Amino acid sequence: MIGQVRDVPLSGDPASRYLPWTVGLLVFLATLAFAAGMFLASAGDTWRQDLSGTLTVQIPVSDKADRLEQVNAVAELLRTTPGVVFVRPIPDAEIAVLLEPWLGKQVLELELPMPDLIDVSVARAADIDIAALSARLAQVAPGTVVDDHAIWLRRLTEFTLIAETISFAVMIVILISAVATVVFTTRTGLAIHSDVVEVLHLIGAQDSYVARQFQNHTLRLASAGAAVGFLLGAGIIWLAHVYGGKLSGGLLPELALGPGQWALLAALPVAAVLLVVLTVGITVKRVLGKMM
Amino acid sequence: MNALANGVGDIVRFENVGMRYRLGAEVLHDVSFSLPAGSFHFLTGPSGAGKSSLMRLMYLAHRPSRGSISMFGRDVSTVPRTELAALRRRIGVVFQDFRLIDHLSALDNVALPLRVAGAKEGQIRNHVAELLKWVGLESQIDDKPTTLSGGEQQRVAIARAVIARPQILLADEPTGNVDDDIAIRLMYLLEELNKIGTTVVVATHNESLIERFKHPCFHVEDGLLSGPGVGVRNDRDPGGDQ
Repeated sequence: MIGQVRDVPLSGDPASRYLPWTVGLLVFLATLAFAAGMFLASAGDTWRQDLSGTLTVQIPVSDKADRLEQVNAVAELLRTTPGVVFVRPIPDAEIAVLLEPWLGKQVLELELPMPDLIDVSVARAADIDIAALSARLAQVAPGTVVDDHAIWLRRLTEFTLIAETISFAVMIVILISAVATVVFTTRTGLAIHSDVVEVLHLIGAQDSYVARQFQNHTLRLASAGAAVGFLLGAGIIWLAHVYGGKLSGGLLPELALGPGQWALLAALPVAAVLLVVLTVGITVKRVLGKMM
Repeated sequence: MNALANGVGDIVRFENVGMRYRLGAEVLHDVSFSLPAGSFHFLTGPSGAGKSSLMRLMYLAHRPSRGSISMFGRDVSTVPRTELAALRRRIGVVFQDFRLIDHLSALDNVALPLRVAGAKEGQIRNHVAELLKWVGLESQIDDKPTTLSGGEQQRVAIARAVIARPQILLADEPTGNVDDDIAIRLMYLLEELNKIGTTVVVATHNESLIERFKHPCFHVEDGLLSGPGVGVRNDRDPGGDQ
């Protein structure tokens, strides 16, 4: 950028004083919103990958004696069903782990009546008639239910997509707020220093020369604010990663961002500062454009 | 009132120029004149007559509401905005209130036209220091304008106006805030600049200066470039050489 001498004395402006704080706060919020958006996108992908092409067959509680026989019969029928590529009865211990967040570690000791579950994978191209399959399974083991994950996966996908969109929209709104704040600050600075700006203009300064005076000043302030805002935001994301896993109880994917996502997140304050500096340049040039 | 000359090489040429501020009444009417390169002119007239407005038009601070203005042979209405800055750098201005930048030292104030023109920092200091010495301010080079006297501020303003070797120097009431001795020294300074080829226009109320320094004189009154002043003093062609 330009030389050491600052022709326009912007440092003492009251409006400038709050700029680092404002930019810092907005970058902090934008960092969290962006991270939330990326996390939801990742979580959605994980859920889709985990659940697409899977079914869970639930055999209702029955006599201990019949139980194993029924499960095997249902599993066998499933294995012979066209499109089914994998069938695995889920052991009681695994079911207990799934129920642990609600019923505690001693769930098996409680001897609660629990349904049997069978994990089923189907080929991607397979178009299985779930209703017909349910009817056939019910003949082997009355009351058997086929839980098609596609239905709630679709709802979950819709939900994550909406939440993701809201997160990114919030981030955009925050960046727009940053732009509006900077436009106001710049216009205030131009009004306060109109005499100096006019002198520069009249002695032959190009608009870009005057704009750079404001841009350099804003770059210094906004960079400091953005760095602090980003570091605070990153700290909170890290804390969420450390403590989030303990709270989610295995229901949510890990609250963690990959290296690529961290790189994108780190680009956010840089992009915010560039946006702010660009906004300052455009604002100054637009105002100066009204002069001869 | 018409001092228009058709000479080739006019630095300034006004043709039927009118000027108004925003939607207000016209403050200059049908102004037509030209200034040949290397000329020296006074511009006189009562307060509010339009002297400063005429100067503003000449240093490209304001567009005329009608008529045409040519600077250095170019019609300013057709000059792209980016090139107007380059035209302004060929014009040196001593503002009525000096318009020095308070937080900058005398050196940095004088260096401004060089900096905006993109001169290298290494070359600026020596060049500016030399000029400040020429105007007798070598010991105040790092002083801020607020610590300088009126006469010293004025010399800084003149140094700033001439540092980039402009082709025309416009001085709006440059002697308004100084005593007669300093005013006379200032006029000698301006004459020296004129001798090395700078076209000079001095807007002033100071009758004694006009009497002492025999240069052609324009008179503005009620927005017209005319009046007894021109008739009385304009024994030489205002657009002609000195």
